Amino acid sequence: MTPNRRELFTTFIAGAAARFLRAQDTVTVAGKRPLILHNDRPEDLETPVRYFDSWITPADVLYVRQHIPRPAPIDANAYRLAVNGLVSKPLSLTLADLERLPQQTVPATLECTGNGRAFFRPKVPGIQWSRGAIGNLEWSGPRVADVLALAGADSAAAFLEIDGADSGVAATPDFIRAIPIRKAMDPSTLLALRMNGKPIPDIHGFPARLVVPGWNGTNFVKWVTRLSLTASQNNGFFMNPGYRFPKTPVPPGGSASAADLEPIQGMPVKSTITSPEDQASLAVGPQTVRGFAWAGEEMIERVEVSTDGGSRWSDAELSPEKFRYAWRLFEYRWQAEKPGYYTILSRASDSAGRVQPIVATWNPSGYLWNAIDRVGVKVEKKA
Amino acid sequence: MSCKCVSFAVLWAAVALAAGPEQLARGEKEEARNCVACHSLRIIHIQRLSRAAWNRELDKMAGWGAKIEAREPLVDYLVANFGDDKPEPPPVFTEDGSTK
Repeated sequence: MTPNRRELFTTFIAGAAARFLRAQDTVTVAGKRPLILHNDRPEDLETPVRYFDSWITPADVLYVRQHIPRPAPIDANAYRLAVNGLVSKPLSLTLADLERLPQQTVPATLECTGNGRAFFRPKVPGIQWSRGAIGNLEWSGPRVADVLALAGADSAAAFLEIDGADSGVAATPDFIRAIPIRKAMDPSTLLALRMNGKPIPDIHGFPARLVVPGWNGTNFVKWVTRLSLTASQNNGFFMNPGYRFPKTPVPPGGSASAADLEPIQGMPVKSTITSPEDQASLAVGPQTVRGFAWAGEEMIERVEVSTDGGSRWSDAELSPEKFRYAWRLFEYRWQAEKPGYYTILSRASDSAGRVQPIVATWNPSGYLWNAIDRVGVKVEKKA
Repeated sequence: MSCKCVSFAVLWAAVALAAGPEQLARGEKEEARNCVACHSLRIIHIQRLSRAAWNRELDKMAGWGAKIEAREPLVDYLVANFGDDKPEPPPVFTEDGSTK
């Protein structure tokens, strides 16, 4: 193409792109109530925290994180799961084969590794999640250990590699994850076929999604089509350098070499205030501060709330549901006696003695934000 | 003035001159030409990054198949519109699709 023709062509493409964008100015995602739109192609959608008013998060408000475009919807009858690698008998399983295995149910919180990235300073690249890339779901399906037992796992296997039906565009890497065999064989680790009692919606990984309770959401691979046992850890982009954290903290804005990073395994202790909303106006009188708290593989033992910026703290009441891997809701009754501006904080502690920090550990990719949560409210005289 | 200061002054002048409206328009065109094949532009426009961070992102995308020709105009355009000194964009919501 001559430079002139190329320029014309480029102008044409740019014009087409602009028209396409205008046409996309409003985005509707089937099956989803209005969510915070970070990206539409592929879909990256965040739950507004006001939707978190129940222990189980309904599917129609659950956040969505796609690294690469969704695969074409999978036909349940045509679906096959390859189980291979260090096994005595490589298998190709149907959905019916998976449904015939004993079905387990595990309530587990799913949180994007980058939830809270928007709060890091200096800012880091990536989806600017604030507080809603999280949900608490009830997952059901066969144990991964039972699926692997059908194929006869070799004792030399050290990792489980998981691939889904999605594949990269252009030269983007395929989304492949690997977890150590210890976690893969844990009785709570599932190949989920159901979410909240129903087949998993396509946008969340129909028909099979890996569930690795207590670990970062990245491991909950969607549309799983291959489980492979390997001797060494997959070294693709989404394992290295993706989803790694500095072994020792670096100064904010600093960098870490590949050798200074390690894979993230498990999640920190964290609480989030869901009501009142930040910058809400409230009336003088009784108010309730609500939220959720979770602690990865540990259990939430305590949530404290402060309504004066952290001078005084009081214990919040915790919901009776207490399951390892699942969040607990908290509630604190507050008498807002005087008009004025109040800074409300929440701080969780867990069964390992971990306490939510004042300052989250800055890291170059903006993972694992878990600083004490904070909302500001105006209390006004009743009209 | 030391040699280093002079070279910084020249560099600053070059950057200031280069990032004129035409340069930024070239950058915007390069963005449309290069990026929309793989993802929509929202994911770019929600970021607020320094010049160094935008350069690192472009290196990553080049490694993933983006064939960036007008790199300097593109970086200038990104810094001018989505630099880390720019205000954060207000949140955008999807329409209700729960019954679809």
